[in-house]
Amino acid sequence: MLAVVCLSGLFFFREHPRVIAAQASVVDTVAFTSDLILTPVDAWHRMVAGLKSRRELQEEVLRLQQENRVLKGQSQRLASLLSENARYKALLKSAREIEDDLIAAQITALSPDPARHIVTIDKGAADGVTEGQPVLGEEGLVGQVILAGDYNSRAVLITDSAHALPVQVNRSGLRAIAEGSGSVDRLVIRHLPATTDIRVGDLLVTSGLGGRFPHGYPVARVTAVDISEGDAFALVSAAPSSLLDRGRYVLIVQRVLTDSMSIR
Amino acid sequence: MQRARGLWVIYVSLAIAMTTMLLPLQLEWRFLRPDIVALTLFYWALALPHRVGVATAFTVGLAQDLIEGAPLGLSSLGLMIATLLLLLNYQRIRQFDALQQSLMMLFLMMLSSAIEMWLRSAINFPVQSWSVMLGLVLSVALWVPLRHLLRSVRRYYEVY
Repeated sequence: MLAVVCLSGLFFFREHPRVIAAQASVVDTVAFTSDLILTPVDAWHRMVAGLKSRRELQEEVLRLQQENRVLKGQSQRLASLLSENARYKALLKSAREIEDDLIAAQITALSPDPARHIVTIDKGAADGVTEGQPVLGEEGLVGQVILAGDYNSRAVLITDSAHALPVQVNRSGLRAIAEGSGSVDRLVIRHLPATTDIRVGDLLVTSGLGGRFPHGYPVARVTAVDISEGDAFALVSAAPSSLLDRGRYVLIVQRVLTDSMSIR
Repeated sequence: MQRARGLWVIYVSLAIAMTTMLLPLQLEWRFLRPDIVALTLFYWALALPHRVGVATAFTVGLAQDLIEGAPLGLSSLGLMIATLLLLLNYQRIRQFDALQQSLMMLFLMMLSSAIEMWLRSAINFPVQSWSVMLGLVLSVALWVPLRHLLRSVRRYYEVY
C-alpha cells in the first residue's frame, strides 16, 4: 500500500500545490539546521578574518576604492543611455519596459543530492523572493529560484542537467537553447545546424525569450564546436561566465514593470 | 508483546543521521557522502524488527526527499524494499560476522539506490552517475563502528 502511495506520489502528484507547499515549508528548517551545523566553521573563518593584518586590510580598502572609482566612472553614462533607450522604446511604441531590481544574497548550502545542482540562498519570500526569479553571480547568470521559503530559498544552477535556458550569441544574434550538462563547468547546445555561424569564444547572453530571464545577461562563453562528419547538427559546449562552484554572493533579480515614459 | 520503550531514541538517532546529509561538501565530491541514514535505519530494523519496519523506511525516505527537495517518494520505495528484504532475513543476518554483514548492507544500499535511479529515469529526473555506488562502498566501511555505537546507545537507554 505504501509502495502505491510512493509511486502515485511520484507519477501523479509531483507538482500538486500541497506537495509544493510542503516542500517550501521545510526549506527554512533545513537551512536553519545546516547553518547550525556550520556555526563552528563560520566562527573559525571569522577568527581568521579577524587576524588579518592592518596592512593587508588597508591594501584591500585601497584596491576596493580604486575599483569603485572605475565602476562609478563606467556607470556615469549609464543613466543617459538608459533614458535614451527608453525614449527609443517609446518611439517604437513598446508601452512597458521592464526594470530590474536586485536583492543581494548569499549561497549558504548545497543540496545533498549529487545528481543536482541546487543551492540554498539566505533570502526568502519575506524579502520578496518568488519562484522563477533569475539569480546572478558576479560575472553572469547563475540560475533561478525554484522554491521560496519564508527566509530562505532554493535555486537551481544553469548547469543542472534538468535545466535549460534560451540564449543568444552576442556577436551574431543567433538564438539557441543552452542545456545544463550536470557538470559544473559546461553547458551544451544541441540541435544547431552544422552550418551555423558560431565560433569558439563567442559570448552567450540571455535572449529574453520565454519571459523568465531578462534580456542581455551574460551566460557563458563557447569553448568547443563539435561537428562530426556527416552529422546534420553541431554540438556546442560553453563554459559558464560565473564560477558556479566558487562564488558565495549572488543577486536575485526582481522585475518591476514601469512605464517607459517615466524617465528617472 | 512487551510495551515499547525508548522509541524516541530511534527517532532521534535517525534525525541525527539525517543532519549528516547537510554537512558541506564540494559540489563535485558530494557523491562520496556516506549514506548514514540508510545504515541507521537498517541497524534498527535488524535490532528491533518489531518496532522499525517498512512504514519507518517510508517515513525516512519522505524526510530525505524533503531535505533534498526531490519529488516526494523518490527514495522511499528503495528503502522500503531493502528494509523488507532485511526483515524477511533478519535472523540469518544477525548471525553473520562483520564482513558478511557489511557485504549484506552494501547489497541492500545498492539495491535501494538502484531502485531510486530507476524511478528517477522513469520520471525524467536527473539520474546520479554510477559513481554513487563508490560512495556506498565507502559508507559500508562505517557499518561496523556505527553498529557498535548504536548498540551501546540501545543498551544504555534500554530501547525495546
